[in-house]
Amino acid sequence: MMHSRAPVNAVIMPRMTEAVVDVRELRKTFRVSEREEGLGATLRSFVSRHRKDVNAVAGITFRIEAGEVVGFLGPNGAGKTTTLKMLSGLLHPTAGEARVLEYVPWRRENAYLKSMTLLMGNRTQLVWDIPAADSFRVLQEIYRIPEEQFRATVKELTELLELGELVHKPVRNLSLGERMKVEFAAGLIHSPRVAFLDEPTIGLDISMQSRIRRFVAEYNRRNGATILLTSHYMDDVVALCKRVIVIHRGRLLYDGPLADLAERMAPYKIITATLHDGAASSADLDAYGTVVSREEGRVTIRVDRHVAPERTARLVNDLGDRLADISVEDPPIEEVIDRVFTSEQTTVSA
Amino acid sequence: MIRIYRALLVAQIQAASQYRVQSILWMLFAVIRPVIFLAAWVAVARSQGGQIGAYDVRDFAAYYICLSLVINLVTSWNAYEFEFEVRMGRFSPKLLRPLHPIHYSVVENVVWKLTTIIPLGIILVFLALTFDARFRTTPAHILLFVPSVVLAAALSFLSSWVLATLAFWTTRVHAITTLWDRAGFIFAGQIAPLALLPGPLQAISLALPFGYVLGVPAEILRGGVSVSTALVLMGGQVFWVVVFYVALQRVWSVGVRQYSAVGA
Repeated sequence: MMHSRAPVNAVIMPRMTEAVVDVRELRKTFRVSEREEGLGATLRSFVSRHRKDVNAVAGITFRIEAGEVVGFLGPNGAGKTTTLKMLSGLLHPTAGEARVLEYVPWRRENAYLKSMTLLMGNRTQLVWDIPAADSFRVLQEIYRIPEEQFRATVKELTELLELGELVHKPVRNLSLGERMKVEFAAGLIHSPRVAFLDEPTIGLDISMQSRIRRFVAEYNRRNGATILLTSHYMDDVVALCKRVIVIHRGRLLYDGPLADLAERMAPYKIITATLHDGAASSADLDAYGTVVSREEGRVTIRVDRHVAPERTARLVNDLGDRLADISVEDPPIEEVIDRVFTSEQTTVSA
Repeated sequence: MIRIYRALLVAQIQAASQYRVQSILWMLFAVIRPVIFLAAWVAVARSQGGQIGAYDVRDFAAYYICLSLVINLVTSWNAYEFEFEVRMGRFSPKLLRPLHPIHYSVVENVVWKLTTIIPLGIILVFLALTFDARFRTTPAHILLFVPSVVLAAALSFLSSWVLATLAFWTTRVHAITTLWDRAGFIFAGQIAPLALLPGPLQAISLALPFGYVLGVPAEILRGGVSVSTALVLMGGQVFWVVVFYVALQRVWSVGVRQYSAVGA
């Protein structure tokens, strides 16, 4: 469903002079066929197909400056991957404009393709049956990387990603996490200035997710690469992105600092109080705010953001020696994002 | 570009070496069909006094041996590979590299031919001796066969890519490519040498591209046509190569805009 109101709480980013990624009113509409379930509907679809237009991306505008790491957030089907595919040059948009490093991505000029990479967490670009080191050599020739630069880049990536002997095993023999590491190396071997990362940690265990995060941060620091990252793991976003762009149903909902997202979208704070005498004493805490949970002497209270300091001070004062510990935090980012999408859905259906 | 091809060639040979048995089996599969037709035509010829049209038993043997070699040298499997890659999302990385995806296919084809040519040669020599094949080949035929088989390979490759590119619209092209292959089975000179096809079928074979892919280079190698006829037939090959080259340029430039990058 299309709706035309302005993005909720969107922050209009100032137009600066040098944007690495400059997107204006970008749209992508897919024509898809649909039918009802059942044999009858299947047979009818052979004769007559019902098609409808799906606005995967419904006119988004944003800019990213050189060296930024931006989180691109949205629920499944929000249009994140479609946007990345357009910005990398895989898809032609239905309307709108985009420039990345001054290139129009979907023209796929060689100079542009040498300057960017698209890494998708669940896809492989390496030759399955040979060691990654051999694929690296092929990529060296395709990207025309001088030998000295190639050796230095491989050395750096091997060190950062702790590749070790992995590059000498056939790719098909690597675990998912190991394969993702060599995929990263292959995708970055030409030292791209812009990297589009689509769910780079999907399916990886906690330790490997953390390693990939450290790598992306370090790569950005060392090379000054501009990175646009999608992830359903908020830890990725919190660890890497100072700025986030939130889209839903193809429309931009928020573009601004991650730190401000909670303030704008979740007007409350979470006070967590740990009590020496346990949960039994917490019955009277409702007066301070909404008690969200009580477990083993730890009480979590939600309070309006603007009264949080006063309520915290009162708690400390009133509880006195019963209080073992207290903290005041923004709600978890997952909760904030969920609230953004929920409030958007409510608005649309209203 | 030479360095790129060398690197791709090395990688593809390494990949192909992982599946040596499969390569040999595919090669045998490609030889089985001509050998079956050879056996059938030999039986028919013997039952009719040893001669059908201009072909006796030994000519049939020579034709189908040449045909087997040509099939191996010109067949390309791009359309099937292409569909698989588009459907599984593996085509997208190729589109995002500063190298046209067609170059990967060229190398895959070359490596397939390189890895199967020696065992195939041994089998064909064995068949030639078994059936006492008679080749009417002259040095001029050999000289003409080389460009003819290159043109046939180019024609097969380009037509295969034009069909494959339809996957940008339909995602699946298996039915289309199978129909194309079946048409080739009748009109390319597999079921019978082109000269033995009934008049209308022979006309269709040479009016359409099919005959120029297999039948023409096989007959040139066998020495079954005169040099002047061979040159005319090669003119037909050049015509169809140009047609499919232009078609590929057009279809690619439009199709790539339609690409929906499913699964990737």
